[in-house]
Amino acid sequence: MSAASVRVESVTKRFSGHTAVNNLSMEVASGGIYGLLGPNGAGKSTTIRLIMGILEPDQGRVVLFGSDHGSRKLSQRIGYLPEERGLYKKMKVLDHLIFLGETKGISRTDSRRRAHNWLERLGVSDWALKKVEDLSKGMQQKVQFAGALLHEPELVILDEPFSGLDPVNAQVMKDIVVAIAAEGRTVLFSTHVMEQAERMCDRIAIIARGEMVVSGTVAQVKEDFGGRHVALGFTHDKQRAEAILADRSLIAHLDDYGASAELQMAEGADPEQLLAALVREGVGLRRFEVVEPSLHAIFIAKVGADVAVAPARAGAAA
Amino acid sequence: MKKIIAVVRREFVERVRTKAFVISTVMLPVFIVLMAVLPGLMMSGTDRTSRVAMVDASGIDLGQPVREAMLAEKLSDKPDARPRYSVQVFPASTAELASVRDGLIGKTGFSKNKQQDTWDGVMVLTADTLASGKLEYYGGNVGAVQSMSQLQRTVSNALATVRLGKSGVDAALVKKAMAAADMDTTKVSDGKLTGQSGKDSFLIAYFMGFILYISILLYGQQTMTSVIEEKTSRIMEVLTSSLTPFQMLLGKVLGVGLAGLTQMAIWGGSVFVVSSKGAEIGSMLGMGADAVQQSPIPSMPPGLLVVFLLYFALGFLLYGALYAAIGAMCNTIQETQQYAIFVTVFIIVGFFSVFSLIKDPTGGLGVTMSYIPFFAPFTMPVRWSMSSVPPLELALSLGLMVVTLLACVWLAARIYRTGILMYGKKPSWGELWRWIRA
Repeated sequence: MSAASVRVESVTKRFSGHTAVNNLSMEVASGGIYGLLGPNGAGKSTTIRLIMGILEPDQGRVVLFGSDHGSRKLSQRIGYLPEERGLYKKMKVLDHLIFLGETKGISRTDSRRRAHNWLERLGVSDWALKKVEDLSKGMQQKVQFAGALLHEPELVILDEPFSGLDPVNAQVMKDIVVAIAAEGRTVLFSTHVMEQAERMCDRIAIIARGEMVVSGTVAQVKEDFGGRHVALGFTHDKQRAEAILADRSLIAHLDDYGASAELQMAEGADPEQLLAALVREGVGLRRFEVVEPSLHAIFIAKVGADVAVAPARAGAAA
Repeated sequence: MKKIIAVVRREFVERVRTKAFVISTVMLPVFIVLMAVLPGLMMSGTDRTSRVAMVDASGIDLGQPVREAMLAEKLSDKPDARPRYSVQVFPASTAELASVRDGLIGKTGFSKNKQQDTWDGVMVLTADTLASGKLEYYGGNVGAVQSMSQLQRTVSNALATVRLGKSGVDAALVKKAMAAADMDTTKVSDGKLTGQSGKDSFLIAYFMGFILYISILLYGQQTMTSVIEEKTSRIMEVLTSSLTPFQMLLGKVLGVGLAGLTQMAIWGGSVFVVSSKGAEIGSMLGMGADAVQQSPIPSMPPGLLVVFLLYFALGFLLYGALYAAIGAMCNTIQETQQYAIFVTVFIIVGFFSVFSLIKDPTGGLGVTMSYIPFFAPFTMPVRWSMSSVPPLELALSLGLMVVTLLACVWLAARIYRTGILMYGKKPSWGELWRWIRA
């Protein structure tokens, strides 16, 4: 495998009064989908901006494709979708995409051809000659998505790519991201939607308060997290289970969804014990399954306590 | 380089496409043409012979010499020109005067195809006319100031001739003596004639100073606004990932400047065309040569057009870069005002120094101002149009401008680099200084 697409080396970034990223190191190997997970205010966007060279780290360095020339020199190889979406409102969609292509160094004619292809692929060809401001938010996001991918970069960095999209459009975007990875290109995206990351990512990093909490392949992270996990689905008489679920000698951690729950067994406790206890109490069960911990469960377990105290992000980091 | 061109093109095309740009660009030339044509049309506008009925109640046959004087007037200086008037004399006694006059007036002032249309005007000479110089004229064209003063001049000359003749002065001598003085003023530059009249260079200087002031202020602030827009729409983040701040700044200022220059060139060019080809345009619009001379648009020498556009370009780049830097420092248009005022003051001082220059084109103040790069864009073109500027002095002024321009662009790029991604609070002067040094 060639040099890592992105290597972040002990990077620290402070904004007046608080540290957004603290001595963070991570490595995104080339190829595959890398998920950067974390609660709001964890420093995901700051990390991505540091990688993009939009912010300069106070300490440490960022290496892209094994060179520390910075993203601007390598901008032809990188596609970027920022968290704050922005387009020129008065420009026509097609002109805008052509312009974005040109800023990546693609010729005008080539850029035009690719813009047409992308608009077709995203199903917005009819809007090519409309002004950006006439488009819905979701459609604008698709246009910007196309703009980030127009030059077929080998590294695609997407900051919260699926936020604000309806399920149908999120599906379209997901398919494209998966297709990019299938071509051997690298995708790095940030999200706080764990289910998505779990299904899509080869590797993940969970950060909180600007620090790395856990990283590795999804399977590895789950294995390292360890413990036995049980997924429950209730049909009736759930209130009868409450005493059992509150028993700390049986259950280490509970994530209650109402009609269902995911829990981690306490050290030395057995899932069979739990099942027996639930049946004895006459709790109506729809599902009882010993499962791998979901990323969500890991996420909550690792950073759950932090979420409540996540520092309000300073204006400059927003 | 290719990327800068892409940015320049975007700025230029998006700006030129707006309705505001198209309308303002087209309206001024239309206005200029109207300015050139309308007064001419309104004030004289005669290219046909006026038929004058002359009621002669002088009792001394005064009608004859006046008629002869009028018939001698031609519509233009060409040898084959048609006479300006055709005159028919109706002798009348003082008693008959009113009825003859009213009868003639009844056939005057109809439009051409009407049957009653016989006369364009009725002139009444009374017994008193020779002594007092009083006479009456009734006509459909009395509002044509130019025509009326011409007619008055002709009649007074005729009356003077008759009076002098009565005193025994020879008619030929009178004619020689009455030849009018006709003074043309022409500007001299470097010992050569420029073909510009004194009135012309004043008008041009004034007009140019005004246009430079308005457009540099307008386009400079547009640059600032557009940086703010990029910041608020957050497109900046996408741009910074592919473009260097210098590419963005240069592309933006050049693009906006090019749009401004296009507008200036269209405006300046239309003044140039109207002034140098005024006669052709006039005749195309069916105006008499007489009317065209009446045009208030002065002639614009090509050299001046070049100096004008050159200083607009340099002046805009200088101020555009500064305004862009201010835009980068702020988050809203309101915020920009407290910084923009420092730049705007320079522009206003530059504009007002134009007035002192117009008063005294070779005076020390105006000449000094034309070397100071922040004021030169306004003062130098005006100085050039009002007096002759030695090439060396022009080169010095241009050289100083270019050096200052580069310094300002460098400074602006430093501020821009940090400023464009700063959201939230405005920088203090201390922080600004750190941005520049960083």
